[in-house]
Amino acid sequence: MIRKFTTTLAATAAAVAICLSASAPSLADDSSDPIIIPIHNWSSQIVMSNAVGQIYQSMGNNVEYVTTDSQAVYESVRLGDVHLELEVWEGAFGKSFREALEKGGLHDAGDHDAVTREDWWYPMWTKEACPGLPDWKALNECAHLFKTAESGDKGRYLDGPVDWLKHGKERAEALGMNFVVVNAGSAAALWAEIGAAEKDKRPVVVFNWTPNFAEAVWPGEFVEFPEWEEGCDKDPTKGPIPDKLYDCGNPAKGYLKKAAWDGMKDKWPKAYCVLTKINFTNPQIAEMAKLVDTDEQEPEEAATNWLKANESVWKPWVEACSG
Amino acid sequence: MTSFSRHALTGLWLLVLAVVLTALKPLLPPVLDRLPVWHPIWSHYLDTWFDWLQNDLGLIHVTRLAASGLGFLIDVAANLLYGKARWPRLEAIPWSTVAALAAVAGYYLGGWRLALLAGGTFTWCALMGQWKWTMETMSVIVIAAPFGFLIGLLLGIWSWKSSRVESVLRPVLAVLQTLPFFTYLLPAVIFFKVGPTAASVATIVYAIPPMILMTAVGLKKVSSDVVEAGKMSGCTRWQMLTRVYLPAARTEILIGLNQVIMLSLAMVVLTAFIGMPGLGAKLLAMMNSFKLGRSVEIGITIVLLAVTLDRLSKALVVKQPEHFEKGTPWWIRHQAWLVAGGVFVFFTALGRMVPFFNEVSRSQSLSVGSEIDDVMKAVLDWDPIQAVTGFLRYFFNVWVLVPTENALLYVPTFGLIAAITGFCWLMGGARPAIIGFVFFTAVAVLGWWDRAMLTLHSTVTATLLAVIIGMPLAIWASRSEKATRRMIYVCDTAQTFPSFIYLLPAIMLFGITPVTVILAILIYTMVPVVRYTIEGLRGVPAEMTEAADMSGATRWQKLVNVQLPLAMPTIAVGLNQALMFSFFMVIIAAFIGTRDLGQEMQRTLAGTDLGKNFTLGFSVVLMAITFDVAINAWAEKKRKLLGL
Amino acid sequence: MDKKTPVISCRNVWKLFGPDPKQFLATLKPDASYENIRAQGYIAGVHNVSVDVGRGEMLVIMGLSGSGKSTLVRCMGRLHEVTGGEVLIEGEDIGKLDEDALINLRRRKMGMVFQSFGLLPHRTVLENVAFPLEMRGQDRHERRARALEVIELVGLAGREDYFPRELSGGQQQRVGIARSLAIEPDIWFLDEPFSALDPLIRREMQDEFLRLQNMLEKTIVFITHDFDEALRLADRIAIMKDGAIEQCDKPDQIVLNPATSYVAKFTEEIDKARVVHAGVLARPVNGIEVTGEPVSEASTIQSLARLLISDRRKLIPVAGKSGELVGVMDRQEALDVLLGSGS
Repeated sequence: MIRKFTTTLAATAAAVAICLSASAPSLADDSSDPIIIPIHNWSSQIVMSNAVGQIYQSMGNNVEYVTTDSQAVYESVRLGDVHLELEVWEGAFGKSFREALEKGGLHDAGDHDAVTREDWWYPMWTKEACPGLPDWKALNECAHLFKTAESGDKGRYLDGPVDWLKHGKERAEALGMNFVVVNAGSAAALWAEIGAAEKDKRPVVVFNWTPNFAEAVWPGEFVEFPEWEEGCDKDPTKGPIPDKLYDCGNPAKGYLKKAAWDGMKDKWPKAYCVLTKINFTNPQIAEMAKLVDTDEQEPEEAATNWLKANESVWKPWVEACSG
Repeated sequence: MTSFSRHALTGLWLLVLAVVLTALKPLLPPVLDRLPVWHPIWSHYLDTWFDWLQNDLGLIHVTRLAASGLGFLIDVAANLLYGKARWPRLEAIPWSTVAALAAVAGYYLGGWRLALLAGGTFTWCALMGQWKWTMETMSVIVIAAPFGFLIGLLLGIWSWKSSRVESVLRPVLAVLQTLPFFTYLLPAVIFFKVGPTAASVATIVYAIPPMILMTAVGLKKVSSDVVEAGKMSGCTRWQMLTRVYLPAARTEILIGLNQVIMLSLAMVVLTAFIGMPGLGAKLLAMMNSFKLGRSVEIGITIVLLAVTLDRLSKALVVKQPEHFEKGTPWWIRHQAWLVAGGVFVFFTALGRMVPFFNEVSRSQSLSVGSEIDDVMKAVLDWDPIQAVTGFLRYFFNVWVLVPTENALLYVPTFGLIAAITGFCWLMGGARPAIIGFVFFTAVAVLGWWDRAMLTLHSTVTATLLAVIIGMPLAIWASRSEKATRRMIYVCDTAQTFPSFIYLLPAIMLFGITPVTVILAILIYTMVPVVRYTIEGLRGVPAEMTEAADMSGATRWQKLVNVQLPLAMPTIAVGLNQALMFSFFMVIIAAFIGTRDLGQEMQRTLAGTDLGKNFTLGFSVVLMAITFDVAINAWAEKKRKLLGL
Repeated sequence: MDKKTPVISCRNVWKLFGPDPKQFLATLKPDASYENIRAQGYIAGVHNVSVDVGRGEMLVIMGLSGSGKSTLVRCMGRLHEVTGGEVLIEGEDIGKLDEDALINLRRRKMGMVFQSFGLLPHRTVLENVAFPLEMRGQDRHERRARALEVIELVGLAGREDYFPRELSGGQQQRVGIARSLAIEPDIWFLDEPFSALDPLIRREMQDEFLRLQNMLEKTIVFITHDFDEALRLADRIAIMKDGAIEQCDKPDQIVLNPATSYVAKFTEEIDKARVVHAGVLARPVNGIEVTGEPVSEASTIQSLARLLISDRRKLIPVAGKSGELVGVMDRQEALDVLLGSGS
């Protein structure tokens, strides 16, 4: 009975698939269907997505933006619900990206010329109170400097929003650190925390990353944890503590990739070509974030302004693909 | 009497057991303290099952097919409302047309004031430069609400016709109504794509239960005379349903429609979490980046929209067909439609000629969000305010939240189960106690115990605070006719706001801290507490208070000995609703940053962990239903004792 | 059809409420009392009732609330399924009809008026009255014409476009009556039609009803808990208690010869002189010499009061409709009815 039902379903699905594929456009021109670009909850990605969207629009494509979760997006790209992803950070999304890659449906569309790192971070004034930094053991010994009303005797580490899946808590547990890990509600909460601490030079340790505008505003350093080993997040034997996961720091020189849905190449060949050419650097990305985070522009305006100011950067990508 | 005291005794013994277990915690075998963490096992089973459902059975193809149909309808609405490049590829309807049509509908349904409200709301949206976001939100509501209405109506009819369907539906609806909304979202995303389609599916599912209930209630209430009159007129079954039952249950069905619309709005705003663009997404983004001024502007829009939709649909409930004298010409009989048509043509033409009436660009908009931001920042940075909020934050954290939380986490699992069972027993006797025992044991077995305790802690603390603040407020208000009316008005209006809005003032005052979470829940749950307390007190029969007056009771004596005891069953209903609200809100508050079930649930949205999402969701449902059953049983018992 | 066949005929009708009434009835002893049945968890709504209603007759069913009168009339229209026995409408067992046939029967033959009117709130007077015609699929114009006709008949002309909520109680019941008459039914059920109205209006509606009945001559089952109303209207009265009919007879007979103490208690307060007609007291002449002017058999004793007191004859002749002598009435007996006999 069930098998029969399954076959019927499969047959229906196949029929639908045939109908859909019959309407696929010719290879030469981009489809007039909108290219769907995902937007997440940190500024550089939002501005970059808007900038690329506006580039596509200038090429005559239709573009739509959807806000999606930054981890779930790889599943969506894989299924073709959204069509590309412009910021694949190794430390944060490497795992989700690799998993989706294995299941098939999306592929690596090249790297940005940027080095990424994301980890526990402190502004420079913290070092005065805890001179042993950036070593994590020194940080642990200063834990009492970081305590707050909420954290009791332990120090507090403000981790990124939950959906970024930073594993700060797991790390603190694996390394037996005297810290309570609290998730910020958003990136802005992180900046607010640093800003508030700056007033009376209170020591703080928060999640941070590069490239990011914050490094220009508040000089600081990443905490040095035991060095990243491939598989540290999957295999307990990797890293200094034999029976724990997450007992290493994040990769110090992570990649920043673009990802594309497999079907994009055929449906929007020109847009896809541009995607493979797209290549932003650390300072460019930090600049985009700054337009929104400190200059308080709306992301759409920020993208327009950035494109206007940096035509020499992006025009060649479009030209390379128009021939 | 003896049975009653024996009854109470069992409950007390269970509480004593809880205390003993807690006191003996160091000596207890670890299994009694905490059950092993089993949730990965359940999650795994559930995932396997979902996977089978999704891929082997091919359900995903069916849902995707349905999604494409629904998606098409939403795209049509989106094209008409804000010009999304989809079929039929028309230009968007100008904002002035929409506002004018809303005003006409408002006038026809409820006169000038409603016309002003409806027209004004849409004008505000346009002038504040929020038109596109508003229309993105509306495009889902105009599709999801009719679907919710129709599906709810059909299921309501079915459950009224067949008692078997009703007995299946009733528990399902109870679960659906307590299911945390994050649990609606993930399956919606997996089966129906991210964005508006999944949002509308989640919205429809969320909005249906009250429609089903109201339809069934309405149909059951149709008076037997009307039914028999229909039968004796020789109606067939179909004629009975369509010509007699449904029209006669009009009022309840329309109240159901009102509920569907309001819940749709509330949910559409929340679906920002799964990539639904519109007001919710903007609000989320603005709150994320602490742009409170702009958040407030969007918040006002959402509130105005809620009030408008609510008043319009309620006016529809009250609106009765009117008769025209013989010989009234047709253009007077169909005046409203003609005016609407005229308005449509006029404003659309106007919009095409004068761009301002077509679209207000962002630079033309009257938004003063960033100015409000600056003012607000300055005010909040002002030292006295800082001192007050700082003190409150410190006081609540250090003296209230942290100690109670640690205490709750210290209690061994079986101690807490005993306490809950005892509490339920005291409230309603054996049945609620059994339910409490089974459900809380199930929470323990599901394996999210500590997180569940944190959720329970926030919920109960916030509800207690709401009672401590709300009850005196309500008692004060119920002493004068005028204050009562105003307070009820405020509560009714506040109840229409989408829950998301309540985060805003809390975040404004306390930033991202645990106190914010409690405050947000507190504000949200105050509404039912105040409302039902007032209703309970005002419902005390006048003879009783007069009798108390004649017996020489002071105000206080009258309140404590006469009014409160008689109002208790009603107040209990309010308390119950407050608890249910806070179970809902605590999960949304995950967005502020919590460490409870909600946080873990929000994390599952980031992946495809359906199984984990469900184990978390059901932990919430089980706790919520336990309280629901216990408090209702208590209210029922009291009502019987008082002979109400 | 045979003219003598009763239009409505109930034969040993039972209606029991409870968990499994059919099964219960099968095992029930025939002489089980109401209390007896109740002790076993069942309620006897209708308790072994047999009654016939002839063509053109008005049967008034009368009893206190809860006595089963409404249940009985609903069994006659098969709004309730009977538990036992049968209800024959013009000789046909209504319980055996299938759904279509039943609907058809109601559409052609039956009209019913309800205590709280049972009007459809979303329809105008006209649409309410035309409702049964609409149900049987009559075309728009025809049903409008017919509806206007009955509205006129019940005196509501000019109010066709009003909604029920815009009318007074009396007017609403006129709509109910008009609706029940729209299909020109042969059988007319009226379930306490006037009891929701205040006394003045009730009186007026009763007059109106009698006027209609004289015009239309339908077979009527009329339910009331008001004995005065029953006496005013009835050809025959059936008095019910605990689901059973205590007595079913002409009004005079009920008043003069109550069958049970319950009926007697009911009639105690009644002014018998207003009910009893001379014809009922008339005995055969049997060669007795009669003198003087006869009184009409249709006049009530009350209307003859003056004559009874002033007349000195011991026996007063009673004449029929056409003036023929039908019997003699004992003056003393008539005076006992007039003044009460106890003393």
